[in-house]
Amino acid sequence: MIKRINRLLTAAALAASSLHAEQLDVEKDTLKFGFIKLTDCAPLVIAKEIGYFEEEGLQVEVIAQPNWKQLLDNVINGELDGAHMLSGQPIAATIGFGTEAHIITAYTMDLNGNAITVSNDIWAQMQCNDPTLDTDKPPHPITADSLKPIVDAAKDEGRRLPMGMVFPVSTHNYEIRYWLAAAGIHPGMYTSTDIKGFTGGDIELSTTPPPQMPSTLESGQNVAYCVGEPWNQQAVAKGIGVPVVTNYDIWKNNPEKVFGVTKKWADENPKTHIAVVKALIRAGKWLDATDEAGNFLNREQACRILSQKNYVGADYDVLKNSMTGYFYFQKSDKRAMPDFNVFFKYHATYPWYSDGIWFLTQMRRWGQITEPQTAEWYYETAKKVYKPEIYLAAAKLLLAEGHIDEADIPWETDGFKVPTSDFIDGITYDGKDPIGYLNSHTIGNKDAI
Amino acid sequence: MAEKSLDKFKYRTLRFLDVTGFTVFDPVVRLAFREEPNKQLKALFNYMLIPIVFALFCIFVWWQVAPNHKTKSGEVPTPDVVWNSAMINHTFSTREQTKERDFLLVGDARLAAIAEVEAMAAAGTAQLAKLEATLAQHAAGNIKQLADRIAPLQARLEIIEAQSGVINAEMKAAVNAAAAAIERGEGTAQPLLAALRAEDEAKDAGRAAESFIKAQIDDIRSDKYAPLNQARLDVNAVADKLQFLTKRIDFLTTSNRSIRVAAAEEQLAETQGKLAEATTAKAALSEAKRAIRNESLIERLEQQQYASAMTIYTQINRSLFTVFIGFIVAAMVAIPLGVLCGLSRIAMACLTPIISIFKPVSPVVYLLIFQIVVGAFFPDPDSHPLFLFLNSLPFLSTLAINPALIFSACTVAACAVWPALVNTALGVATIDKDHINVARVLRLGFKDRLFKIIIPSALPLVFAGLRISLGVGWMVLIAAEALSSSDGLGKFVWDEYQNGSSFSFANILYACFVVGIIGFLLDRMMIILQRLVSFDGGSTSL
Repeated sequence: MIKRINRLLTAAALAASSLHAEQLDVEKDTLKFGFIKLTDCAPLVIAKEIGYFEEEGLQVEVIAQPNWKQLLDNVINGELDGAHMLSGQPIAATIGFGTEAHIITAYTMDLNGNAITVSNDIWAQMQCNDPTLDTDKPPHPITADSLKPIVDAAKDEGRRLPMGMVFPVSTHNYEIRYWLAAAGIHPGMYTSTDIKGFTGGDIELSTTPPPQMPSTLESGQNVAYCVGEPWNQQAVAKGIGVPVVTNYDIWKNNPEKVFGVTKKWADENPKTHIAVVKALIRAGKWLDATDEAGNFLNREQACRILSQKNYVGADYDVLKNSMTGYFYFQKSDKRAMPDFNVFFKYHATYPWYSDGIWFLTQMRRWGQITEPQTAEWYYETAKKVYKPEIYLAAAKLLLAEGHIDEADIPWETDGFKVPTSDFIDGITYDGKDPIGYLNSHTIGNKDAI
Repeated sequence: MAEKSLDKFKYRTLRFLDVTGFTVFDPVVRLAFREEPNKQLKALFNYMLIPIVFALFCIFVWWQVAPNHKTKSGEVPTPDVVWNSAMINHTFSTREQTKERDFLLVGDARLAAIAEVEAMAAAGTAQLAKLEATLAQHAAGNIKQLADRIAPLQARLEIIEAQSGVINAEMKAAVNAAAAAIERGEGTAQPLLAALRAEDEAKDAGRAAESFIKAQIDDIRSDKYAPLNQARLDVNAVADKLQFLTKRIDFLTTSNRSIRVAAAEEQLAETQGKLAEATTAKAALSEAKRAIRNESLIERLEQQQYASAMTIYTQINRSLFTVFIGFIVAAMVAIPLGVLCGLSRIAMACLTPIISIFKPVSPVVYLLIFQIVVGAFFPDPDSHPLFLFLNSLPFLSTLAINPALIFSACTVAACAVWPALVNTALGVATIDKDHINVARVLRLGFKDRLFKIIIPSALPLVFAGLRISLGVGWMVLIAAEALSSSDGLGKFVWDEYQNGSSFSFANILYACFVVGIIGFLLDRMMIILQRLVSFDGGSTSL
């Protein structure tokens, strides 16, 4: 009996795999991908664990990396085939800020997913400055206005408050800068001689690897930080800090991580690249699958997988907080945030040129790009890094195989999202007018049009 | 006669214990041969029983003290928690092996495995449902007990808030009165200032009282509710197991290598059929191309191996391999150089400044230097002939040798070279004058003098140096791996630190024991070597 069932099972498996359009004739079938222990590495891990990579004929190892710099170095030197990267990393590497190498991306891994956490002490002071915050559920979004007096007082004492972000070209850096600058706190400029970005700043924003963030907050090395999950929920769970604002509140549905490979690797392994993107798109869709009531179907299983020690390794219950559509701002303040992690909805996985250009404008705003550039240059650079053609090739195959729907993919787009003013300060961003956007901010570099 | 051979056996055993440095077991052997039982028993009591009791006492102290130190990352784990984490790591490793086996399983064995796993999964699902019910119950219990404990504090907080509201209002009235008095031209500035100061003080006092209570509430909220925690752990354990079983089913069915090969073969047959029926040149060409592609796909699938995650055991193997590579390189550099320094004062003078400057350099600095230097030799490690060769060897292929291993080994070598070098030089320089004189009298040539007199008499010190080198190398390696994230025990520790899960602390302590025990065994190994080359069976300290 069992044998018969199993024969059936096998037959089903065979039928299923022969139904798939045939596997791509990949150039390389054993791959190593790097990731940092953050929940937004999920598409990579899920594509491996649910078997999407295997269905493409790929045996993939995903390897934890100690920090973003080493991750990038390992991709450049060929130790890794590709990696979970900060959106800014491929762009910065390609324009030569930091390590120079031509890195491209054909897949955006997720939207949102970060938050800014302040220490308990700073939170108490912010509550003093703004009594509306002094409740169990303060109104959101919280701006940095109540933080400004604390920064000013420290500055009067000759001290600049130390804050942490994860990497100079990380989304987190730009987000915490945006949040501070929106309240008139100058986060400091990068110049050709000051590569730490302290020049003229009211605070000191420096690099700390994500997993060490909570301990730096505890030891007073940082009084605030901006980082991805689970490191904000970890601060709540351990009672060492209070997340005040998520990046969803700073910019709704902002691009976060991408899957990056070197141009050289992509040129040598074009079919492998498409196969990888196929598996990742399916993983993204799996992560965002919901039932009719809008509840996530697979997120709990995803947390279960991510909590394995060779992946993110944090406690299941901590991962679950933010991944299943909720976020704890304090132990007593749990809020529904269905869009805190977006892996597929809103055409999230498409590599938008306008996202690339936003990061370029921020690099220019804070002086990482030292010279003024033309709008043309922004567009050309984004095109050098973002490769929608690869994404679309993979999506087309998936559509033919019936794994995705027509509406899942923006087939006809020119690569620019509609202009949006979903920012905490309400300024409108239009990817086609980077210079105008740059000039609409008070703090930061401005260029003559 | 029999007695004689028994004696021989006894002395051989004692000699073995002596060489390996386990003299503590000496009385046990002697007692077994009934040699002065009283004396042996006394020795056993003094040198075995008391140390064991002391060790137990230490564990007891650990057990008692650990839970009292509460850190933000949880309590300091007790011995049983550490033991538990050793077990969890072991489970992780066996699960990886099982998955690998499942991936390669074929035929009836595969079918039997599917049946077995499915039965286990069904049992697990039932168990999980039960545990989840318990969890829900405890979660509700937790909410209730929190509410019960917080309610009185909350009430007090509200009272205090009300009180400070009243006081604040009074103070404000006083301030206003003083200000009004000035307006009327009756008062001076003093009362107003005093009133303002009093208001500030009252506000601060009120806030302090409030935050005192708030801190207490926070403490209650962060108190772990033991039954809930236990229920969570239970649920997580079973859910993890189910997760593993689902993955096993996957590896036994759709992801199984034989199944995938079979699927590809079927496709090939289909393509070949189409090829045979093809009538146009274009169709034939495209089907033929497809057939060739299918053939190469089958070939590739047949060779495919399971991409296993690193487990603690593979990491131990890798660390040991790395440390030996580094150690051998260090020895190969240190011994000839040391002999040279011992023989020639000029060589010694030349090398002294180099030794003195580079010996105290931190391993971290060496690591960074080698990381940069070694990286340059392997621009494309995946297709570099050295790695292709190393990873094709049977045992080494499981270690995934890469540049990270090479530069970790170089760092070990750079730190381990100095003790061996200095000791060798010392050993050669302090050879008994009589031996040298004998060599002179015999008119031995340089070669004979070197190999018959100098090296043999310097060997004990050389090995003493090597022993220190290996110890240093092992210590350095763990740090190097942690920093460079090269797979091995160091990375294991670092990853655990980064995971920050509730098991991390216990895992780090577990790794501490693993590193320590391996270090101890390595040291013992060197002691044996050292004792074997000493003529006098010279003493070695612990």
